[in-house]
Amino acid sequence: MLAYDFMRRALLAAILIGLAAPAVGTFIVQRRLALLGDGIGHIALTGVAFGLVTSTSPVLGAVIVSALGAIAIELLRTRGRTGGDVALALLFYGGLAGGVLVTNFAPGGSTSNLLAYLFGSISSVSGQDLWVIGGLVAAVLALLAVFGRELFLLCQDEEVARASGVPVRFLSMLLAVTAALTIVVAMRVVGLLLVSALMVVPVAASQQLTRGFRATAGLAMIFGVLAAVGGLAGSYQFSTGEVNISPGPAIVMVALGLFVLASLGGLLLRRRGPGRVGSGASDPLPSTEASR
Amino acid sequence: METMTDAVFELHDGHVRLDGREILSGIDLTIREGEVVALLGANGSGKSTLVRALLGLIPLSSGRRAVFGSPKISDWGRIGYVPQRLEVGGGVPSTVREIVSSGRIARQSRFRLTSKADRAAVDRALAATGIAGLARRSASRLSGGQQQRVLIARALAGEPDVLIMDEPLAGVDAANQDALASTLAGLVAQGRTVVLVLHELGPLAPLITRSVVLDHGRVVHRGEPPEPTGACAEPGHDHLHPHAPVGAPSVWKA
Repeated sequence: MLAYDFMRRALLAAILIGLAAPAVGTFIVQRRLALLGDGIGHIALTGVAFGLVTSTSPVLGAVIVSALGAIAIELLRTRGRTGGDVALALLFYGGLAGGVLVTNFAPGGSTSNLLAYLFGSISSVSGQDLWVIGGLVAAVLALLAVFGRELFLLCQDEEVARASGVPVRFLSMLLAVTAALTIVVAMRVVGLLLVSALMVVPVAASQQLTRGFRATAGLAMIFGVLAAVGGLAGSYQFSTGEVNISPGPAIVMVALGLFVLASLGGLLLRRRGPGRVGSGASDPLPSTEASR
Repeated sequence: METMTDAVFELHDGHVRLDGREILSGIDLTIREGEVVALLGANGSGKSTLVRALLGLIPLSSGRRAVFGSPKISDWGRIGYVPQRLEVGGGVPSTVREIVSSGRIARQSRFRLTSKADRAAVDRALAATGIAGLARRSASRLSGGQQQRVLIARALAGEPDVLIMDEPLAGVDAANQDALASTLAGLVAQGRTVVLVLHELGPLAPLITRSVVLDHGRVVHRGEPPEPTGACAEPGHDHLHPHAPVGAPSVWKA
């Protein structure tokens, strides 16, 4: 499959996104906002539609609108009287409906233009797209590297972060915007409707096997790349003349498969000894005397 | 505002409203360096709100606050806060060491890599709370008492001059309460200021230099911890004695 230029580009895009999405996802899951990515993905659709209508770049539209949407979610979450989940739900519906309605005004006006963005079109990634994806992924990973320590405390315990002088509001926005950028990048690969899966599923799989945050993030990135490459290769391999397998959903299914395997692995590890891995309910531990 | 050089926290006529309800009504409180102050009172009396207001985590609706003589806290590294938590929190497993290390944040600027001194401070915090042996374990899988010690170690890792603890004894068994008391005694001996929100004094009683009792958002008693029986802080207070059968099911299984 590497004989084709478009497949080489697709593979590189898949690897880049397989690295970035779970890295951001680890922080999002730590903050218990696993559905944030879905909310932003839906909003990004409206941005894509604006891009289509104005015949400018759908990616640029998606970046702007989803970043604004991410900030709106943060504000609603912290300021509003609505709970975080309701705030997300409102943006889900608004984003999806807005995207379809705005597309109706596009030249041609067909919502079929949206399909490529809803479910991904990784095989159409151009050389120029690859540079954009690479740049955004590098930016996302750099942000996480610089602010990771503070983001960890923020996502772990916001009040203590505040009482440690961490700029909570700024970093909350930064994390939301970073998630938005990641989603726009990943939109080409798995599509907006499944984008959040690449942020959450590798993390969920990884934490079946790990005890620490760094380990979880690292393993999630490995799982992310495995899923992206595996799904892409699988869809290429198994697509015949009659059956055409979409890479995006294939990638998500491989990620879910990894989650099932990791869960079984975690179960075995836990049976060997308590405290070895991190997820699930607490084991009954011997009295705290043991540690004194 | 008159500035007292040794005042850590000053609150003058502090009022706090949350959701239209007045939680604190005109609190005057000064806490000086080296003091070990217990904030006592029944559930809902405003103890936790008071410490959060002192830290600036919630705004005053009126009144004046100063920390180290200034209205804004500039050096967060001098303050260690142990919030009241049922568990360490977070949706991703984190090792004890990772959580305790995050307490260094105010001492470690954004672009500085973790140094030998940072690691040594984390080691000391783990040792002082008796959880060095658990450093590589997943924190969320520890017992309630152990998780409480992780939170305290996180605050200690920042080597604060002032420690603020919200119900540090909650869910901690008697043996661990004693261990915690001796840890705190060591910190007090080093001259640290400690503010404790407590339901009852328990084994911490000998350390307390002053106590302030709150009721419905007002200070109703200052000075020596109220007698009799030391623990029964406040009239009408629904007091559960440690060795009496506890009515409500405990979420703690230490």
